[in-house]
Amino acid sequence: MRKSLYETDEAIMEGIRNDDDRALAHLYKLHFPMISYFIISNSGTDDEAKDIYQEGVIVFYEKIKGNSLELSCQIKTYLYSVCRRLWLKRLAEKGRYANRIEDSENYLSLEEDVPQHEENERQFGVMAEALDQLGEPCRTLLEDFYIRAQGMQEIVEKFGYTNTDTAKNQKYKCLQRLKKLFFTSYKPEV
Amino acid sequence: MFDHRIYEQIERYLAGTLPAEEKAAFEALLLTDLRLADQVQEHRQVLQAMQQYGKRQQLRHKLNSIHTEMETGPQAITSELTAWKVFFKKHAQTMAVAASVSLLSVFGTLWSVQQIKKPVQQQTARYVELRREVEKIKKEQRAIINGIASADAAAPAPRSARFSGTGFAISPDGYIVTSSHVIQGADSILIENKAGLKYKVTEVHRNTDYDLTILKVEDPAFAGFGKLPYTFKTATSDLGERVYTLGFPREDIVFGEGSLSSASGFEGDTTSYQISIPLNPGNSGGPLLDDKGNVIGVINGKQAGQEGAAFAVKSSYLLQMVTEMKERENGLAVSLPQQNNLSGTSRTQQLKKLQDYIFVVKVYN
Repeated sequence: MRKSLYETDEAIMEGIRNDDDRALAHLYKLHFPMISYFIISNSGTDDEAKDIYQEGVIVFYEKIKGNSLELSCQIKTYLYSVCRRLWLKRLAEKGRYANRIEDSENYLSLEEDVPQHEENERQFGVMAEALDQLGEPCRTLLEDFYIRAQGMQEIVEKFGYTNTDTAKNQKYKCLQRLKKLFFTSYKPEV
Repeated sequence: MFDHRIYEQIERYLAGTLPAEEKAAFEALLLTDLRLADQVQEHRQVLQAMQQYGKRQQLRHKLNSIHTEMETGPQAITSELTAWKVFFKKHAQTMAVAASVSLLSVFGTLWSVQQIKKPVQQQTARYVELRREVEKIKKEQRAIINGIASADAAAPAPRSARFSGTGFAISPDGYIVTSSHVIQGADSILIENKAGLKYKVTEVHRNTDYDLTILKVEDPAFAGFGKLPYTFKTATSDLGERVYTLGFPREDIVFGEGSLSSASGFEGDTTSYQISIPLNPGNSGGPLLDDKGNVIGVINGKQAGQEGAAFAVKSSYLLQMVTEMKERENGLAVSLPQQNNLSGTSRTQQLKKLQDYIFVVKVYN
């Protein structure tokens, strides 16, 4: 009966708000076949379906997390609309304009959600590149401190610095470089 | 210059952990020192981007693991199963009701449709042409032929007829009439009478509307049939008139008797009579005669599944066809018999005289 916990859309959304991974997993499994069918019947592959679907779920997830979702329809319809838009964009990038999209569901136009997501994606792309260029051990050091939120003391032990001051100094230098790398290629579109 | 201490301060400021007076001092500094303000702004942005990036990576990782679990894990199947069970338990009652309703309506519909169809079935009877397929005779003949062939191996075994019907002479100079459907698809046609006279014939005129065909004897040795004992009736016969026919539903000639039961044929066809003579395949093309020995029609079919409902084309249409043929093929003389020798004689006497002019029509293809 575990699954019946997430029978309604509200239950799923509540689960995601409470960081329940099972709710996310349930949601993911529930709607994947629909998107997979849509992508594949519109000249996509399995991998592309997975890619697009994950992106769609991320949009949805972040909307819920940011409490900025005003859902006027079913989750299913929302996901379908997001994925549909993403896929059209992907097709256009590949230079293949789908002259007729075979729709199996109703969809919304979603004027705002997707562009916002794309802007975020761009930022993350730049960040990933900057982190790659940064190299080790700077990358791990920063990730440990800022992303995994480890304490200075642990970091000192892990990297074998003599004291926290050296570590802090090192971190400062790394961050300085990261900033440089990041801002040379990223200009926020405001 | 900046060093990590200032960074620390910025970070603490951004995190909001700076003590109140230090915060006030820092904010005052921000207002005057634009470079510091920029730094703070940048710092905030980088940190935000980095943290969001981290979260995103985590989420992607999670989704990936969900995906692989979904694709490979047997758990997906079991959870599907449980979902199905849950669904079933929840809706078992509804489904039971729905199933019984649908069963009831299906059988109800079937039953009622059958009820409605019953009387209809009687009306949609089929019309059966009485041409006979000679499969059985063929075998019998082959057996005999085989016996002969073994005695005289050099002679090629003659092929037996594929279909047979009946035909009768309409003039002494070798014209015969039969039903069109009898000779349908024929390569060659042979006629043979009770006396054993055999002639090869060819088709000279056909009218599929009346289902009649006129054949002519081709044999060079043919010297004519002699005087025909019957005549053709031009008027329509009356209901209840006693009629009879002779035909070849089997190898020997067979007599059938009945009465004229309707002046119209199958589904109101006015070119035919309905007659109550038991008929069988092979009777097609036989003459229909009245008591006085006038030919009043040509047998051509019966209604399947109905006893005593057979049909014959009226003789007036046969006569009409003969004139038609005369016109079409100029100078063709068909001398129809004018004198009736059968009138007044007993039925058995009539049959004896008739026999020689009734032929079995054998169709080869």
